[in-house]
Amino acid sequence: MGGIDRRDFLKVIGIGGATAVLAGCSSQKPENVIPYLVPPENPHLGLSLWYATTCRECPAGCGLLVRTQDGRALKVEGNPSHPVNQGRICARGQSSVQGLYNPDRIRQPLRRKGDGLFEPIDWVQAEKIVAERLAALLEKETSSRVACITPLLTGTLDRLFDAWLAGLGSKLRYSYEAFSYEPLRAANRLTFDQDAIPDYDLSQAQMILSFGCDFLETWVSPVSFSAQYARMRTFRNGTMGTFVHVGPRLSMTGANADEWIPAKPGADLYVALGMVREILAQGSSPLPAAEREMIARLAAPYDPKTVESRSEVPPATLKRLARQFAKARPGLALGGAVASSGRNATPTQVAINLVNYVTGNVGRTVHFGSSSSLGRLSTYQDMLGLVERMNRGEIEVLFLYQVNPLFTLPESAGFREAIKKVPMVVSLSSFPDETTAQAHVVLPDHSPLESWGDFSPRQGVHGLIQPVMKPLFDTKAAGDTLLSVARHVGGKLVQALPQESFYEALRGDWKKIYRASASAEDFETFWENALRAGGVWSEPKKRGVRLSSQIARVDFSEPSFDGDDPAALALTLYPSINHFDGRGANRPWLQEIPDPVIQAAWDNWVEIHPETAKKLGITSGDLVEVKSSHGRIELPVYLYEWIRRDTVAIPIGQGHEEFGRYAKGRGANPIRLLGPKAEGGSGGLPWLSVKVTMKNTGKRYLLTPVAGSNTQYGRPISLAVSLSDLLKEEHPESEAHPSMYAPHPHPKHRWGMTIDLNACTGCSSCVAACYAENNLGIVGKEEMMRGRETSWIRLERFMEGRSPENPDFRFSPMLCQHCDSAPCEPVCPVYATYHTTEGLNAQIYNRCVGTRYCANNCPYKVRRFNWFTYQWPEPLNLQLNPDVTVREKGVMEKCTFCVQRIRRVEIKAQVEGRAVRDGEIQPACAQACPTEAIVFGDLNDAGSDVSKRARDPRRYRALEEINTHPAITYLKRIRVDSEEG
Amino acid sequence: MRRLLIGLAAVVLIVIVMGLYLLVSSGASGPVQPIAYSHKLHAGEYQIPCQYCHSSARRSPVAGIPSVERCMGCHKIVAADKPEIQKLKSYWDRKMPIPWIRVYNQPDFVFFDHEPHVRKGIECQSCHGPIQTMERVYEAVNLNMARCVNCHRQNQVSVDCLICHR
Repeated sequence: MGGIDRRDFLKVIGIGGATAVLAGCSSQKPENVIPYLVPPENPHLGLSLWYATTCRECPAGCGLLVRTQDGRALKVEGNPSHPVNQGRICARGQSSVQGLYNPDRIRQPLRRKGDGLFEPIDWVQAEKIVAERLAALLEKETSSRVACITPLLTGTLDRLFDAWLAGLGSKLRYSYEAFSYEPLRAANRLTFDQDAIPDYDLSQAQMILSFGCDFLETWVSPVSFSAQYARMRTFRNGTMGTFVHVGPRLSMTGANADEWIPAKPGADLYVALGMVREILAQGSSPLPAAEREMIARLAAPYDPKTVESRSEVPPATLKRLARQFAKARPGLALGGAVASSGRNATPTQVAINLVNYVTGNVGRTVHFGSSSSLGRLSTYQDMLGLVERMNRGEIEVLFLYQVNPLFTLPESAGFREAIKKVPMVVSLSSFPDETTAQAHVVLPDHSPLESWGDFSPRQGVHGLIQPVMKPLFDTKAAGDTLLSVARHVGGKLVQALPQESFYEALRGDWKKIYRASASAEDFETFWENALRAGGVWSEPKKRGVRLSSQIARVDFSEPSFDGDDPAALALTLYPSINHFDGRGANRPWLQEIPDPVIQAAWDNWVEIHPETAKKLGITSGDLVEVKSSHGRIELPVYLYEWIRRDTVAIPIGQGHEEFGRYAKGRGANPIRLLGPKAEGGSGGLPWLSVKVTMKNTGKRYLLTPVAGSNTQYGRPISLAVSLSDLLKEEHPESEAHPSMYAPHPHPKHRWGMTIDLNACTGCSSCVAACYAENNLGIVGKEEMMRGRETSWIRLERFMEGRSPENPDFRFSPMLCQHCDSAPCEPVCPVYATYHTTEGLNAQIYNRCVGTRYCANNCPYKVRRFNWFTYQWPEPLNLQLNPDVTVREKGVMEKCTFCVQRIRRVEIKAQVEGRAVRDGEIQPACAQACPTEAIVFGDLNDAGSDVSKRARDPRRYRALEEINTHPAITYLKRIRVDSEEG
Repeated sequence: MRRLLIGLAAVVLIVIVMGLYLLVSSGASGPVQPIAYSHKLHAGEYQIPCQYCHSSARRSPVAGIPSVERCMGCHKIVAADKPEIQKLKSYWDRKMPIPWIRVYNQPDFVFFDHEPHVRKGIECQSCHGPIQTMERVYEAVNLNMARCVNCHRQNQVSVDCLICHR
């Protein structure tokens, strides 16, 4: 016996090895638990700490509460005590955490090398490069040739930029926002001698007349206006406010209107003047005789016939509108938004001012006295001046701070060529955007969530910005960069900026606010309280205004368009609700959440009326060339019935050449189609000023098919009731269908929700809140084309209207209905989904084996399957909510009514030995909703808000006929027929 | 005969490997920690209450490992000359947190909340074993789902899946 031969040896080793491997599989790798060295402010691990700060995603300046846990920011919510947004926040505001954790953020200072690529350098080096240049300019006494472009800033950072430039002897400071509403200011100068954007109060209005104004989307302060709008639309005492939209296209805001007046593009002016004439003729103006006569003289040429010939609004409609608007005391006419600002934007806004003035609305729904900070911006004309200076070689150093003019200015304005002539371009931006790509040195700023600062959206509101966590990267607050560069330069510059740090400068400035407030506390207490509250604010001031004599000089000019081809179509550009001026395009949530009206994501498109498209031989999904006399772009076509036949529309915000992985190379930038000339009256950019031709390229490009269809095919999903029916009809409890199943017992709570479709505007803030709260995966366009998005709540949009008199758009949030007789439950073979005793339809991930039977059987199509293990590129993963499981491939998921929030409140109540209070539990969607359309609570408690609303005469359940007994009650949208208003 | 021998050898090998595995995974001795911290000394002999160090337990979902600062609160003075305390001080001086090895772990889809359990007066030992006798902490109790459910049943607490899974 030769012992064990080779063959047997291998057998034994093989078995032994396999056993060892098996054993190795089941044992867990040792994992470290790392304690704090020194615990942070909140010593209790696993608990959230909330910081009040101010949102910097747009110039509206909403107050935020930021949830942080274990030293990282997780979610932003509105600050309930803030006067602007009162606890609510839009989708763009929600995405500020994705700005903070954006994987494409610039992580350290950069310098451009000879080969044009950037290389990382350290802060001292980077600042010295800039400081040496500045010192050289100071020596040559040419430092007045330093220019700064910043976004709208107020408070300390604004002052520092000015002082810093003053120290260099330069006055070239440009406060630049792409949407700066110059015509509003110019018109208020001409009408009321007020160079300001006033405060509007929509909540008091009985009728809103919007001239293409997207006040629910991006205009001035959309969250604030949405809340006011919802109050105005509330049905009480048998009536509610009405809303009429004038303009060539129905925007999301317009889709909420009771009536659409499809006036010709640029002809809003004549509709407004025609109304003024009619109102005066009907003798219903409360103005003194002298003013009435003066205005009557101006409006005299615009009789209904003339108005019809120029705007295509029939005389009968104009007269009815004028009558309705004069009857509404007060009413409110709004205009001056991007989509409707043409070459005659200023006179148009003057005419709209007159509509408000002759009906006595100024002082009732339009308030001067606490004007918006937007009124302090540089104009587009100023930017053209800067381009000229750059071209003439008069700019030695250009500083860019969080602005992207290369993207937001028309290509024809020549910024791209001009910036190449500037010897040194320094960017203080956080993202590698188009303009920063042209920089020589990048000194990246902190995210606003890592910074100190302040922002005042309007007079009397001082919002504080405080860091909610330590900076993630080797970045530096812009204010500190300015001070630090000044110290490197020394001399005059450091004398202008003696502060040690930006924080010190900020506190110094707040001592002035403290003294002005005449507060009885000492400064430290005042400061602490202001930080806790998110700032300090006072009641808005109100100042009476009278008609200016300048009004007589206003030239009510015809709209003019570039492009004389008779077949050309007017082009209206509108700011995307998700991407604003393009700055939202690098946030994966904002890319993945579909546009509420078009229901497409990850793209932009050109909207064209189906009949026009037919004439041009274009159909849905064609890639077309859109050409103006200034440029051409290629975009896919979306056939949209709610746009005039002579107009096409394109959303602004996509088409980035740079700006990180989520934005780069998506869609096309329609600003390229615009001409360079500013509007004469205001110096603003005329957005509605070109006509375009469209040519089929023969290529196809499909948009994400999120909506599936535009109508409900008569199914009772999103319902409406007319105001007259609501007033006369009896509202009996709908007949209970017999059920085969015994009802579920709900001994303690029965969680339920009501969604008021009359308040829902379609803004999709709830959708963004759900993505943020529940760790929803981003699947990208390819997967969305296959219908694999993970949204637990989606904004459904149905176009039920057949005529402009009644557009009847329906926006309704659709989420798991938490049915009592849930079709998903009995088909689950592994009991992974079931009904809890508190009325929730539970989904247990660790039980789920991924058969997808439940999703097939769900009539509401709200269950989502994880086809892959979705990724959060670092550091986006730091935003994940630690209270919610991160799901893996092969697992079904859906809305949980934010069960983690329910459990947290239940535990808190149990520990405190009390019952859960009504309104104490707020799912993320209900918390975010700017119009308070979504209310959550205990249906077992007859006195709860949700129970009261669930008894509203407008109540119904989605697809009631299939007898699923949902826990969600919808309240019908109220249609106001045009004759009733 | 030869086949039998080989078979036997294989079986013996399997038994040895599995035995070794069981010995290691039962963790009767627990993992070796970077500092030989003794619960027996602190919680046993000195009778320092658990929540003196694990102060988050009654206020939050997690009990928490005390910060290095908390350790140094006593050990700046107490037993400062002992070699293990010297290790602690070295971490503190280098401003490094201590990389403790985790003993108890739950899958990511399990959400256990310490606060309500501690507030109900449930002893730490009922889930963490006789911790006051352990020189080195080991997983004395197998914290599987059956144990959670049994305890909840016995105490007539909800056994709804959503209580722990969400």
